[in-house]
Amino acid sequence: MTLSETVHLATRTLRRNALRSALTLVGITIGVGAVVTMVAVGNGARASIEDQVVAAGMNVITVVAGNYKMKGEDGGGGVVDHNASLETGKKGSGARPLFVRHPEDDPMEKHDHPTARQRLGDSAAGLGAAATLTRADADAIRQGVSGIQYVSAGVHESARVLYGDRRWFTRLHGGETDLQRIRRSWTFKYGRFFSDREFNNTALVTVLGTVAHEKLFGRETDPTGREVRIWNQPFTVVGVIASTNWATTGAVGDDQFDAVYVPLTTVHRLLNLSKLNSITVTSRSAGETTKVSRAITELLRKRHGIGEAAPDDFVVQTQASLALGKGVSPQVARAITGNAPGLEQLTLEQLSHTLERASRTMTVLLASVAGVSLLVGGIGIMNIMLLSVTERTKEIGLRMALGARSRDVMLQFLTEAVTLSLIGGVIGVLLALAASGGVKQVLRWSAVVSPEAVVLAVVVAAAVGVFFGIYPARQAAQLDPIDALRYE
Amino acid sequence: MALIQIKDLTKTYVVGDQHVHALRKVSLDIKSGEFVTIVGPSGSGKSTFMHILGCLDRPNSGSYILNGRDVSKLSKDELARVRNSTIGFVFQSFNLLPRTSAIENVELPLLYNGNKYTPAERKKKAVAALAAVGLAARGHHHPNQLSGGQQQRVAIARALMSEPPIILADEPTGNLDTRTSIEVMEIFQQLQRDRGITVIVITHEHQIAEYGTRIISFRDGRIVSDLPNSYARLAAEELEQLPVPASEVA
Repeated sequence: MTLSETVHLATRTLRRNALRSALTLVGITIGVGAVVTMVAVGNGARASIEDQVVAAGMNVITVVAGNYKMKGEDGGGGVVDHNASLETGKKGSGARPLFVRHPEDDPMEKHDHPTARQRLGDSAAGLGAAATLTRADADAIRQGVSGIQYVSAGVHESARVLYGDRRWFTRLHGGETDLQRIRRSWTFKYGRFFSDREFNNTALVTVLGTVAHEKLFGRETDPTGREVRIWNQPFTVVGVIASTNWATTGAVGDDQFDAVYVPLTTVHRLLNLSKLNSITVTSRSAGETTKVSRAITELLRKRHGIGEAAPDDFVVQTQASLALGKGVSPQVARAITGNAPGLEQLTLEQLSHTLERASRTMTVLLASVAGVSLLVGGIGIMNIMLLSVTERTKEIGLRMALGARSRDVMLQFLTEAVTLSLIGGVIGVLLALAASGGVKQVLRWSAVVSPEAVVLAVVVAAAVGVFFGIYPARQAAQLDPIDALRYE
Repeated sequence: MALIQIKDLTKTYVVGDQHVHALRKVSLDIKSGEFVTIVGPSGSGKSTFMHILGCLDRPNSGSYILNGRDVSKLSKDELARVRNSTIGFVFQSFNLLPRTSAIENVELPLLYNGNKYTPAERKKKAVAALAAVGLAARGHHHPNQLSGGQQQRVAIARALMSEPPIILADEPTGNLDTRTSIEVMEIFQQLQRDRGITVIVITHEHQIAEYGTRIISFRDGRIVSDLPNSYARLAAEELEQLPVPASEVA
């Protein structure tokens, strides 16, 4: 008998006792269904926490050229602790410290790009203004650091943007196309971000932040395809960025939304620059930012040939460490102030760690409860198989008399047990898919049924069948044909 | 050379602290194409003998050469193979699988012969075997839809499936009335006559034993008589004399 025939025989035998088989596999169905649903709900919870954390930018790491706080203060560990960034944060108007570190970026101050050009030029005016980051550095990070998700090299300028007789003095960010993926809280009110092709062609295209858009065009005008002038060059507007997130609001002076975005290559070409102000990086997991920023620090120190004792010529900041100084969500803030014995010791990274751990504990707990029902289901299968072996003793004796070997009999009963548990498992998975759909619909929880969980559940169901089927099958295989034939 | 050569076969069971000598040095040769009947009261050892003959059990001592091969010391799995290829069993209680069609019942031995036939070939052979015992129209009937005689004929068709040289029948007429008993014996005689199959029938009824061309009597674990029967009853002739039962007129 081939395997498929054995399976065929098993299903036929099970169908002969349809009600009994159905009742037996209900145990496995409930077990598998519960496991998959629980894991889905747990995963959903974790994913939504992770999502919130990522949307708040907590997996963002910023590498800034130069190192202002060097002079004698601290050893330049590379990764800035949040106290330090809080200090620097105070100086700015809610903008990221990157710009705070460049006093000439103050929008109230009259200045023009030549200053910036000098700063970004190869002539370094002291350590603080050291312009040391290059696109090669960005590429090295992209390729050489594990746990990296996106990398965008950046140049940050201030510029007057003109549209007709309207003008608006705002930030200008030269970036790469991955920037739109790094900024999770962005949504495109109009149009799109600049494309890879435009990036490679140093195209004169720009994407406006909502504030810049409102000031130049008015809130309700679709500006895509219109021309604005920056540095006396005609730039075509391709999109408008708005915020979806509670953590970031589009107010005047906002670094992300009171701004225009231009391909980095275009900025480099027009201003004849070769260096970067910053490299923005995201790690795949918010919990890994510290690890990743350490790796970046090491890599850049090596690339810049900085000796053991010498300080970094750049600063690596994690967004999590900066976020405490910013207007985070009241809930998060309350969670931090309410739970942390020492506020200064708790970063959002740790908070996200804690939340993740809690949801993982929950998942494990629920899954083990569901695992118990799998166990009970397995015992049910064993019970029915033992009963079946007793009932069919004569059949076993007959099959043996007709030439079935012990292993043929064993295989037959084992196949029946595994078929039972597999059918139970598959029905369980289907129920779980329905249940997590229901949970999403009715309770508005997010539930993510991962393919891995489905495969695992089916494999576990089969394993339960083997584990609990092997003993009854052994009993059947060890019968003596003469006694079995005589059995009434 | 004889198909079956048995020499000094002994079999002892231990029941509690008692040794039961079921077979005491039994020796016997059976040639290919014989129709042997084995008689004896219960406890005579004929069942034990049949189990060893059918390779369902192994003797304590002595040798059993079946078809030129000593099978007295084979492992359980090897015995299963020998049973499958050499011996067709017919039982007193038919031993058909319930809620299973006649065709599927007949196919059973071919499930265990190492995938020699495809499912389609198996089915074809089963249909042919059922036709050979006069049940061509009953292939899809389940055992509970068949009479006792029909069930036993399904069992005989099953015994013929792997084309064994030997048919071993244990009280094949024990559950049948006189007429169907004769019908079954007629099939055996026909198989022996037309196909040269060696038929061994174990029975405690002397009338049934008289269909054989050789009658062997057991008592107390020994063969007490082993006689050729030159006046064997002929089932086919007897059937002609019997009135046709009402159930088959229609």
